[in-house]
Amino acid sequence: MRKIAIYGKGGIGKSTTTQNTVAGLAEWGKKVMVVGCDPKADSTRLLLGGLAQKTVLDTLRDEGEDVELDEILKPGYAKTKCVESGGPEPGVGCAGRGIITSINMLEQLGAYTPDLDYTFYDVLGDVVCGGFAMPIRDGKAEEIYIVVSGEMMAMYAANNICKGIVKFAQSGKVRLGGLICNSRKCDNEKELIEALAEKLGTQMIHFVPRDNVVQHAELNRKTVIEYAPEAAQADEYRTLARKIDANKMFVIPTPLTMEDLEDLLVKYGLAA
Amino acid sequence: MSLPIAVPSSKRPAATNSCRVCAPLGSVLAFRGLRGCMPLIHGSQGCATYIRRYLISHFREPMDVASTSFDESATIFGGQSNLAAAIKNLVRQYSPEVIGVCTTCLAETIGEDTVGILREITTADPDLPPIIHVATPSFKGCQYRGFHDTVEAILRATARGGERLPHVNLLPGPVSPADLRHLREIVAAFDLPLLMLPDYSETLDGPSLASYAPIPEGGTPLAEVADAGRATGTLQLGATLADGPGAYLEREHGVPLVKASLPIGVRATDAVLESLAAFAMESAAGTSASAPITPAWLSAERGRLVDAYVDGHKYVSGKRVAVVGDPDLAVGVAGFCAEIGLVPVLVASGALTHRMATALDLLGLAPGSFEVMEDADYDSIGRRVAELKPDLILGPSKAYPTSRALGIPLVRIGFPVHDRIGAGRILHLGYRGTQRLFDEVANALLDHQQDSSEMGYAYQ
Repeated sequence: MRKIAIYGKGGIGKSTTTQNTVAGLAEWGKKVMVVGCDPKADSTRLLLGGLAQKTVLDTLRDEGEDVELDEILKPGYAKTKCVESGGPEPGVGCAGRGIITSINMLEQLGAYTPDLDYTFYDVLGDVVCGGFAMPIRDGKAEEIYIVVSGEMMAMYAANNICKGIVKFAQSGKVRLGGLICNSRKCDNEKELIEALAEKLGTQMIHFVPRDNVVQHAELNRKTVIEYAPEAAQADEYRTLARKIDANKMFVIPTPLTMEDLEDLLVKYGLAA
Repeated sequence: MSLPIAVPSSKRPAATNSCRVCAPLGSVLAFRGLRGCMPLIHGSQGCATYIRRYLISHFREPMDVASTSFDESATIFGGQSNLAAAIKNLVRQYSPEVIGVCTTCLAETIGEDTVGILREITTADPDLPPIIHVATPSFKGCQYRGFHDTVEAILRATARGGERLPHVNLLPGPVSPADLRHLREIVAAFDLPLLMLPDYSETLDGPSLASYAPIPEGGTPLAEVADAGRATGTLQLGATLADGPGAYLEREHGVPLVKASLPIGVRATDAVLESLAAFAMESAAGTSASAPITPAWLSAERGRLVDAYVDGHKYVSGKRVAVVGDPDLAVGVAGFCAEIGLVPVLVASGALTHRMATALDLLGLAPGSFEVMEDADYDSIGRRVAELKPDLILGPSKAYPTSRALGIPLVRIGFPVHDRIGAGRILHLGYRGTQRLFDEVANALLDHQQDSSEMGYAYQ
């Protein structure tokens, strides 16, 4: 089983990209489980056709530790298995600890079955909290893909995530598999992210163009692959899925200094 | 012990034989000095158990401390319902006059909004007894910090301003019950009404009772603490306190603050008595009372102490000592040592105040003649003691392994003293406490001399 985690700045499109990629793999016959590691619990919405899922932590809160696997693991599009970790109400408690607890619970309940080809973790934001680093720290995920765009802060977050990967790569198996550029139509965006990838010692595994069909699909609570299978954007996600499936380039990244990162941005961003 | 070099605290990967205990312990100790107060520790349950066990081993008194007992889900979702349930249970089982809520590292780490939760709880139930909250993360400070922060929290929650009253506030710091009783006696000798906070002289050194009292008798009533903002002045003991709770009263209510080192030794006790005399004068101003003079019994105790210094000088003079303890106690005792001709070579504390060296300078110890270790553990203290080879150690029971390994006598002071009876009755303060300390120090040195003499000893 390949164990993959998707990180990236908040709002960059991690959940959309993850679910569409998973849909691409599942449509192709792969057995995939998605574990949402975001207190908003919206990592499986498109696969399930809505926020139909009770989270692991809500279940734990309401029913104590006697949780059955089928209460928290729901079947989604093309036989995908969907889990949401969930979290406390905003501003209270410790969401990081929640991630740790819920992944441990999934393991205890035997969610990681041998027939799975892939497990995807869709993780909120930066690796700035031990809890949100848990999937890569404890070897739950071994391949990281970072969703990024040509915007400064998205690249900054990507670089920061790479620092986290370096930290855990030294003591474990986690490696960076590549950057996924989710286009914001910035100037020279493709070249910029390719250059960033090169500096980080990795690859831009795919450039996902911006297309309004993604928005339409989201409003219909579906992935693009399910909502508009013939659309060009659906093929982009299928391509990304195949590239990930075929990927052999796994590296320990070499994060940039803040100055280098800004230089890079100026060089490409103002060159247009 | 053949360990060569003391490792600076910043280079140590971990504390070995810690010289400090956690902040909520200091907080519980301070809350125990409020009448009818039940301490409640918000966070994981082991913290309360550890604190109870530790305090019981020192004071040998019943020590009920409540816990909100976080489990995994409270850790993730926050401990609001635990805190509400704990307060309800406490009120039912203990009927406390006041509840003191401090926090464990776990509650602090998850960013628990304890203030907000308590506001909701008290708003929903206006009949609850007063609840005083203090944040006590131990990654920020140890028992010393927790103690003083709690005293300040009690004052912030309770003290009100207004027309001046004749009493004086005394903030003694974490001293022994015997010290508290003696301070009370000294202040009374100046005919000064006293508000002492905290006062656990009875709650933590009480009589044996036929039936168990869940909350022991004694302590300062909260209603009296309300008057702290109207006092003639505040006397705050503790040479290493930067501002301390007394500064809050001065800032907020204009109560004049006098800071003093703990009254250990003739000079330091003289200074405290002078401050009390000045307060007494101020307090009696406008009345027909005559100017206060030092009470005769105190003068007599001072006379006997100075006589003892003279008698014992030949036994103590030039002997080298290491002092370990809470920063204020360590500094106070080191000052006393210097006064009687002992040479303090090492003054160590587990707390980190950055102020011990300055405080010792102010007490007249020659800079450079001694070493200060703050943020120390007993491993590094032991290594340094092994190098410095002092003749005597003054410190808590946790210095005993060092004392034993190196064959250096130990005079037990401060906290914890769990391998002797009567820790709560160790008197450190005033001429009387100094007298006791002096006799013990001189006799410990004599003991050691006799025991290690090849000739033996007999009175001819």
